[in-house]
Amino acid sequence: MPDTLTAIESAAREQLSLVLIPEVAAESLDPDADLAAAYGLTSLNKVLFLTELCEDTGVDLAHFTEHDLAAMRTLRDVTAALTRHHDDTPGA
Amino acid sequence: MTAPTAAPTAVPAAPESLSPLNRLVTAAPTAGGRIHAARLDGTRSLSLGELYERAGRLAHHLRALGIGPGTRIGILAANSLEWVLLDLAALRLGAQTAGLEPGKFTPSRELMDRYGLTLLCTDQPTDPAARLPGTLSTDDVWALTEPGDGPEEPLPPVTWAERDVTTIKFTSGSTGVPKGLGATAGSIDSSLEAVQEIFGHNPDDHLFVFLPLSLLQQRYWVYSALLHGHDVTLTTYEAAFATLRRVRPTVVMGVPAFYETARRQIEARRRRPGAGSARQVAQALFGDRIRYLWTGSAPAAPAMVRFFTEEAGLPLFEGYGLNETCIVTKNHPGAHREGSVGRVVRGKQVLIGEDGVISVRSAHPVGDHYEYAAPGDSEKVFMPDGTVRTGDIGHLDEDGFLFVHGRADDVIVLDNGKKIVVRPVEERMKADPAIAECVLFSPTQTDLVAVVSPAALPADTDAVTAALAAANAAGTPDERISRVIVADEPFSIANGLLTSQYKPKRPAIQSAYAHRLHNQEAGIHA
Repeated sequence: MPDTLTAIESAAREQLSLVLIPEVAAESLDPDADLAAAYGLTSLNKVLFLTELCEDTGVDLAHFTEHDLAAMRTLRDVTAALTRHHDDTPGA
Repeated sequence: MTAPTAAPTAVPAAPESLSPLNRLVTAAPTAGGRIHAARLDGTRSLSLGELYERAGRLAHHLRALGIGPGTRIGILAANSLEWVLLDLAALRLGAQTAGLEPGKFTPSRELMDRYGLTLLCTDQPTDPAARLPGTLSTDDVWALTEPGDGPEEPLPPVTWAERDVTTIKFTSGSTGVPKGLGATAGSIDSSLEAVQEIFGHNPDDHLFVFLPLSLLQQRYWVYSALLHGHDVTLTTYEAAFATLRRVRPTVVMGVPAFYETARRQIEARRRRPGAGSARQVAQALFGDRIRYLWTGSAPAAPAMVRFFTEEAGLPLFEGYGLNETCIVTKNHPGAHREGSVGRVVRGKQVLIGEDGVISVRSAHPVGDHYEYAAPGDSEKVFMPDGTVRTGDIGHLDEDGFLFVHGRADDVIVLDNGKKIVVRPVEERMKADPAIAECVLFSPTQTDLVAVVSPAALPADTDAVTAALAAANAAGTPDERISRVIVADEPFSIANGLLTSQYKPKRPAIQSAYAHRLHNQEAGIHA
């Protein structure tokens, strides 16, 4: 589980870094910062980020509803949610 | 509405001589095609034939509630199959709809009274204590489309005459309460035929719709599917990117803000080692079957159109039209020109006034007045002969392509008499990725002051300073921006500084930053 968490967090940092304008280095991201307020993450970019992250980590995006996405406010929220579902996804 | 006096005869397939809308209400679709409603957690799907049958059963139930010619149903819900079923059932009954966008309206007795709604269908909770009669939850709609025990009786036949109003559409104006406008059946038929003539949607096509169905034009793509037998997927703005690659559409019906986000994403991914070409990365995002991308409702930056069309290999076609005119011009595979919004479509005529303002005359007008607006609003837009004065300024080139320069009221007249069309100047600032939006004002009529929305927080003031220098170097002396005020937070729908179609609300921005606009010391100076 700790390895999974580390791998997902690392992937999450990289994918989030890619959608931020201007780009913020993956290692500089604050896991507890509000994604919208601190990094200007729009709802469109949030879905892009999560779509790519799910693909990267092999977690099925279909585990989540629009409501679940709205509840993911920080990088730590995202990492925790994906880690929870990682074990439910065959082959992930 | 006109109801035929003679008893109807059974018609197995709608005759081609009927107008598109009358074909939709007269007989089941004969071609194939499916409709899909895609959410993050899954997709519901049914054949267009089944959609027609279910809409018919729903129409019977609505008829029992008193819905028919002369009544109006309000639909206040996110995109869903239920939305489509309600719309089609209303058309089958000769009843009007009012497409009410979630976020702009809330269910209430006052809403129903204001818009004369016999029935309000909504996916939003209504206060049971308020005992709101005449409401139907969209959660209960599907059950009303299931087959009953007995034989299915035919519905009374309806015919939509050209001037009959089928729906009330609301402008997403930049100020105040939305204005309501009745749309005629003739205008819808005319637009459906004009679009089909230039894009030739066919059974191999799959149209991807994520803008709200409360916008009438988004319902066109469902009507098009029923008429031409192609697939259509409905989703929401928020879920669009997640469902896009799953759906693999051939056509995406978008707006500039959506494509701009996609372009930035493609370019960011290309910076990764081994990412592949722009075409490959774009295909990963949009799927591998795209025939073309549609954009409208707000100006698209020429650089963005060029990026998709030339670098990403996904032709992006911009068009032009207002709620009051429907589609006026459109670039398309057979005729497109960079920087233009395309040639005038069949049934429309563009007139350029001496002041450069674009007016539009239609063979089948959407309407000739607002049904819900402040006194005097209709007269400002609708001329006595039915011509619509758009308030945009532009020109037609020698080959009939329309170029839109900006809003007539977005021209700043300086005290030296010089007229500055603000949009090209704002576009120069927006070329910098650190700037999401730029809006120009002239508080003292002597110089230009910009308010920019940062792409992210904290704002990159160095990049804004550099963008200011670059924009001033590229413009004429009169177009020089003397100061830039960086907004405290990005403009958004939530903070009231963007419209629901992601256009900046100039008066609201001016009001929010009035103090700094007038304070000569404020902002970044050129």
